[in-house]
Amino acid sequence: MLVDRTGRGVVLHAVDPVARDGFGLRIGQTHADARAIAPDLVSAPAEPEEELRVLAGLAQWFERFSPLVMVDGRDGLLIDMTGGAHLFGGEEALLAEMLKRLDGAGIPARVAIADTPGAAFALARWSGQDAAIAPPGGAKAVLAPLPVEALRLEPDAVRLLARFGLQRIGDLYPLPRSGLARRFRSNQGLALVRRLDQALGAEAEPLKPERPPADYRAWQVFFEPMTEADTVMLALPPLAEALCVQLEQDGQGARILALDAFRTDGRVVRLTCGLSAPSRTPGHLLRLLKEKGVENLDLGFGADALMLTAITAEPLAGRQGELAGDAKLSDPGEALAGLIDRLQAKLGVGAVRRPLAVESHIPERSERWIPAGPDAPAGGGGPGRPRPLLMFNPPEPVEVIAELPDSAPSRFTWRRAAHRVTKAQGPERLSPEWWRGPATQGPWRIRDYYAVEDSEGRRFWLFRDGLYDRDERPFQNMAEAETAEPPPMPRWWLQGVFS
Amino acid sequence: MINPLSAPVVLPLPAPFEESAAVHPQDMPAALAFAIARSLEAAEKRADLRPLVFVVSPTFQNERGRLSGWGAQGLGLAPERIVMVKARKEIDAIWAFEEALKSGAAAAVIGSLEAPAFVATRRLDFAARAGKASAIVLRPRPSPDLSAARLRWRVGSAPSAEHPFDARAPGPARLIAELARSRDGQRGRFTLEQDHETGRFRLAAGLADHGLAPQPGAIPLAKVA
Repeated sequence: MLVDRTGRGVVLHAVDPVARDGFGLRIGQTHADARAIAPDLVSAPAEPEEELRVLAGLAQWFERFSPLVMVDGRDGLLIDMTGGAHLFGGEEALLAEMLKRLDGAGIPARVAIADTPGAAFALARWSGQDAAIAPPGGAKAVLAPLPVEALRLEPDAVRLLARFGLQRIGDLYPLPRSGLARRFRSNQGLALVRRLDQALGAEAEPLKPERPPADYRAWQVFFEPMTEADTVMLALPPLAEALCVQLEQDGQGARILALDAFRTDGRVVRLTCGLSAPSRTPGHLLRLLKEKGVENLDLGFGADALMLTAITAEPLAGRQGELAGDAKLSDPGEALAGLIDRLQAKLGVGAVRRPLAVESHIPERSERWIPAGPDAPAGGGGPGRPRPLLMFNPPEPVEVIAELPDSAPSRFTWRRAAHRVTKAQGPERLSPEWWRGPATQGPWRIRDYYAVEDSEGRRFWLFRDGLYDRDERPFQNMAEAETAEPPPMPRWWLQGVFS
Repeated sequence: MINPLSAPVVLPLPAPFEESAAVHPQDMPAALAFAIARSLEAAEKRADLRPLVFVVSPTFQNERGRLSGWGAQGLGLAPERIVMVKARKEIDAIWAFEEALKSGAAAAVIGSLEAPAFVATRRLDFAARAGKASAIVLRPRPSPDLSAARLRWRVGSAPSAEHPFDARAPGPARLIAELARSRDGQRGRFTLEQDHETGRFRLAAGLADHGLAPQPGAIPLAKVA
């Protein structure tokens, strides 16, 4: 039995069959009352977030029956089976199958099929049967004997209906709707009529699926649960081909691909991988999944269904004479896109990058490494001067000895190694980019860059941050400038190493 | 010591799989520039415009610095042709190296590896030939271990040539590449100098006996005089 803290103190959140049938405990009772009835009660604190998480996981698992699954409240799932029951051998067989699978996963449940979500809700919770079916158009008759609580009403409304002597849903049918709505304070009357209409199908109630259903998906159910990743890999090629056929019909290619494995214990494990360019080559998709790590999928005691989905698809122009084998990628652009995908699948997103030139003379800002795509990024103009092959960002501090304070260095120490400068060129003076404003620049000062070469022939790019005997800070007036702290002493940094 | 008279005067032709080891870890820029020059030369011979893939580890980036597109441009490698792959572990780096070679998407793959096993280097050699690409392994220091690399270079920095206008400034960059091992037993020590027009490292004029490679449109010095 689970308990939960509410405004009324500790109340029962869930009870097991023994507590319910043996002692007559019910949900919502206070814990103190329950202890009085059954002193040796075992109770544990409820974890509503965990329950919701598990329910959401279960919702994903139910995608094996239909792509439109919605979590309803904190203990229910609504599944849109429109036109899908025959795939499972009819409605009775479908419900039996659901119950069998839920039972196998250790989840007690009741299921119902009806024309509307409202009617299915009422039947599943209040009909007293494990599997209830309302025949098409028969919701009205089936619902009539059920209590009014089954209509998903507010507790106040239920209490008021009880005062009027309206116990059953059938009692509401003969009443005039306008009068029924008027009997209640504020919106409760309208809500009551609305719930009734929803249950009977007079008002539409669309489902909001947990995950938007994908347009392209391929399915396979297996007789025996698979426990090995190898078996999954063997099962994947037909799925990939089926998916690619669907994609090809619409001239689309997958950009984000997902593999869902439906485990027998009611959970779904998912593997997602992104593609740098849309693709519908089965071999490529398979290789991506393999590199993403099908073997890392936690199959538990086995998965008995696989679903391959193109979560995001983008238009992909068809080509003449497309070769089936992807080892023979004729187009280098496509080969590169494939390579980037495989590298990213294994090494992580952002592991593959290309340089983007940025219009800026500040070395740190003059290029950005952006996630790679098959097309080369086009950027701004270059610095127009030689730049080091390898750069340090942020720059590394160096100790410098110079003959004059503002001359080129004659010796410097970097990473505890001393270097004697034999040749030096500079300064190349880089000023802060004033148009960016101080907020984006930070404490940026004028930099004097020197390209120096040491006695070993190694070439470095050093800079002095700030100027001696000059204050470049923007002061409003003389008084402020005189009272201000003197600027910090210029410091030397190493920005990069030339080849 | 190599006898300068018997030393070969032309660089060996690019091989599918070479190794460029820095003489000292601080000579990595020279080793990298040499690797870029070798792969560009190989790609040019095939009229190959596919990108160059660089495989580095995060340690490499912290210790040796991050490749700069502008710096690469100074060496004659257009930044648009650079694809950078960062691999956390050596085993991932080798995998990415091989994958990039085999894919047929890269003209060359330049990767920094600490200690590749011999079998791994054999695989790289096969992959390079399968993808019609050049593979160049960068090593932070020379190592005597076994490798399937056809040419193994030790590359160090050298004092630059004289600056044409300013005696105190570094002139065209130079590096010394020593061919430590090759399949056909060829050895040699070459001084390369950066060409000021293309930025590419070429055999330094004063040290090879054939002078600068003739360039289309260049006016012979004699005529100018």
